[in-house]
Amino acid sequence: MSLAKYISIFKISFAQEFAYRLNFIMWRVRNVMQILLLFFLWTTVFSDPSKVIFGYDRTKILTYVFGILVVKAVVLSARAVDVAGEISRGDVTNLLLKPINFFKYWLTRDLSSKALNFIFSAFEITILFLILKPEIYLQTNLLLLAGFFLSLIFAILAFFALLMITSFVPFWVPELGWGVQFLVIVIVTDFLSGGLFPLDILPSFIQKFLYLTPFPYLIFFPIQVYLGKITGTVLLGGLLISLFWIFVLWILMGWVWRKGLLVYRAEGR
Amino acid sequence: MDKAIIVDHLVKNFEVIEKKPGLKSAIESILSPKKKIIRALKNISFTIQPGELVGFIGPNGAGKTTTLKILSGLLYPTAGFTSVLGYDPWERKPEFLKKISLVMGQKNQLWWDLPAGETFELNREIYEIPGKVYEENLNELVSLLDVGKLLNIQVRRLSLGQRMRLELVAALIHHPKVLFLDEPTIGLDLIAQQKMRDFVYEYNRKYEATILLTSHNMDDLMTLARRVIVIDEGQILFDGALEELVSRFAKEKIIKVSLSREDDVKKIETIGKVKKISFPEVILSVPREVVAVAAAELLQNFPVNDLTIEEIPIEDVIRKVFRGEMRRSFKK
Amino acid sequence: MGMISQRLGASIFLTGKLLRIGFFLAFIYLLLKGTGTLAGYNLNQTIFFFLTFNLVDIIAQFLFREVYRFRPLVVSGSFDLVLTKPISALFRSLMGGADIYDLITIPPLIVAIYLVGRSLGPSPTEVLFYILLIINGLLLATAFHIAVISMGIITLEIDHTIMIYRDITNLGRFPIDIYKQPLQGILTYLIPVGIMITLPAKALMGLVSPLGVFLSFTIGVVAVLVSIRLWNFALTKYTSASS
Repeated sequence: MSLAKYISIFKISFAQEFAYRLNFIMWRVRNVMQILLLFFLWTTVFSDPSKVIFGYDRTKILTYVFGILVVKAVVLSARAVDVAGEISRGDVTNLLLKPINFFKYWLTRDLSSKALNFIFSAFEITILFLILKPEIYLQTNLLLLAGFFLSLIFAILAFFALLMITSFVPFWVPELGWGVQFLVIVIVTDFLSGGLFPLDILPSFIQKFLYLTPFPYLIFFPIQVYLGKITGTVLLGGLLISLFWIFVLWILMGWVWRKGLLVYRAEGR
Repeated sequence: MDKAIIVDHLVKNFEVIEKKPGLKSAIESILSPKKKIIRALKNISFTIQPGELVGFIGPNGAGKTTTLKILSGLLYPTAGFTSVLGYDPWERKPEFLKKISLVMGQKNQLWWDLPAGETFELNREIYEIPGKVYEENLNELVSLLDVGKLLNIQVRRLSLGQRMRLELVAALIHHPKVLFLDEPTIGLDLIAQQKMRDFVYEYNRKYEATILLTSHNMDDLMTLARRVIVIDEGQILFDGALEELVSRFAKEKIIKVSLSREDDVKKIETIGKVKKISFPEVILSVPREVVAVAAAELLQNFPVNDLTIEEIPIEDVIRKVFRGEMRRSFKK
Repeated sequence: MGMISQRLGASIFLTGKLLRIGFFLAFIYLLLKGTGTLAGYNLNQTIFFFLTFNLVDIIAQFLFREVYRFRPLVVSGSFDLVLTKPISALFRSLMGGADIYDLITIPPLIVAIYLVGRSLGPSPTEVLFYILLIINGLLLATAFHIAVISMGIITLEIDHTIMIYRDITNLGRFPIDIYKQPLQGILTYLIPVGIMITLPAKALMGLVSPLGVFLSFTIGVVAVLVSIRLWNFALTKYTSASS
């Protein structure tokens, strides 16, 4: 298995994304605007800096908000959103004809996109810092930081499989690709993973139910680890559950893929 | 392994959900979908030797493209055996994929916003082509297809003909031993078509590549294919030399007469079907079995200056194939 | 493919949009449960701001869906056909694509607005002001969309501009009081999200004077007139440079 292949794919994907500079910048602007809304919202809520709600003080909640910006850039931004369209249009044929693994190819392209998004989000955070001057919580515990990075990696892998599975719907119903992706990925995943608000403001019976799904492990869990609110055995437990979801989702992904190929007509346009 | 392609009793069915217009049927199609089976390939068999250039012809929907897709591993055969270069296409092993290429007019692999050169480089990595080999292949293809000046321009800025030539470079940069071409000249102007044909001919000759091509273009077939396989409604009607196609299927022959003076057209029509009159020439078509008798009658009863007997032009036969009229001739 | 898949696809999108509104409402509810007030507004008031935002947003999207198709219209040359037809080209380019599906969300929204609004106990005048300012908000939205397609004729740069517009108006989900200066000022005077969305809701709560309503309307009407001027100007610059 040659690494050179995937480095090439990484680079060409990066170049392609860059060719649509304006589109990409607009995408980043939208992300920043969402963060601005949340930032001002919570700042207003916590206009008294000593206030504590839902176990958060101003510093922690603002850190959560900025955390959303970065974690979303790393976990939820994905080139693989194109897969649904490629299957509907039959463009996936090109990939099937080449001696390359479909999943490795798309994972590489995803990582390329995430790298680009991460670079921008780091830049955006710096600018926002300078303008808004919020107090942010900086995690210094190396172990927790390691846990944070690990949880991010797991989140990336889990989300990849989730996205792929929804993207395979066009194998059976070519017209529903966008709709399902919108519903599952844009709406449901965003909310249920803590992309708008920290999940611990929800009533506990809802939280218990949510923790049975993979969603919280995409955004909420990593940020909680960073904030130091999840440590020790709970942290380990969370990482294991994350790993479990990766296992389940990837197996499901492979299964749906094989079934999809059997009915694929290689048509389209 | 001496055969490049083996197809044995290949069957391919598609399941389609019947969708009739109207709200009631629409609801029905969700709750209890009525499945219809489309038999695209009904037990076809053929083999192709390495280095052969075979034309695969038939009317639309006959199963040509389906066959190519199965042979390149895209579609799963319902029944039967296929083997390309000794591999089972469906397994899509990397070693297999490195040796084949499928070129379909509409499926473009060039990255749209980048220069074609980038796609070639990418393919070099994907196909793991050694540097020097890559350079050689690239230079040859580029000069054969005359695209040297286009390599660094964004693909989206190029014309259709230019893009198709570059697509061909991308599809062949790994020098496949087996090439599946689906309507390679469709949408091209006459000059581009000629270039494409020349190229395919050269590629087949130079690299002894096995080429299976489908086309609706008469010139493609006349110039390139020495052997044709005729397929219609999922069945093979003919597999052999192009010339044989005529003698096997042409039920009629052509008589060309040159008259010394104008005569009654109606009278000539009793001998055979008049295809064309432009005095002094009259062209008739006459059933094969009675051509000698018809010729004799013409010589006897008409003011004939000159008379020749010919086969129906191959083009006409092929046109009949495209229109699906061969089925009737198939009843042996 | 059939109508059924299309309808199914549209329903899925609809479900997504409804879910988004639902999730946001849940968020507002939980938030206010924890903090009591937001910038001085209570739960019902905050919800009311959010519902008002959705009303203006959805109606604008319903009316002006065609604007999203404007760029392809010009690039393909079909805009020429539009110009030659007897229907006003402006009207056609602006509102020709109204999709009935968007309307489905409006009645329940209005019901919700009615229920929540009633709980705030407004006087009839205040209700009147609300309705007037919603209309004014739509005037401003119209002016904006006209301006966008006017610029679009010249520069073909439409989609991104609309996206920025959507992003900025999305800030109106909450009363713009939450934003610090200078952002609040920008949102009031420059890109009048404040006038479009926050102000109507405030009027219902009795926070806007008749003078304020009048001034806002002036701004709204002037904006529309200016944008139409812009449109006519843009038409003179139209080059019809298609293939």
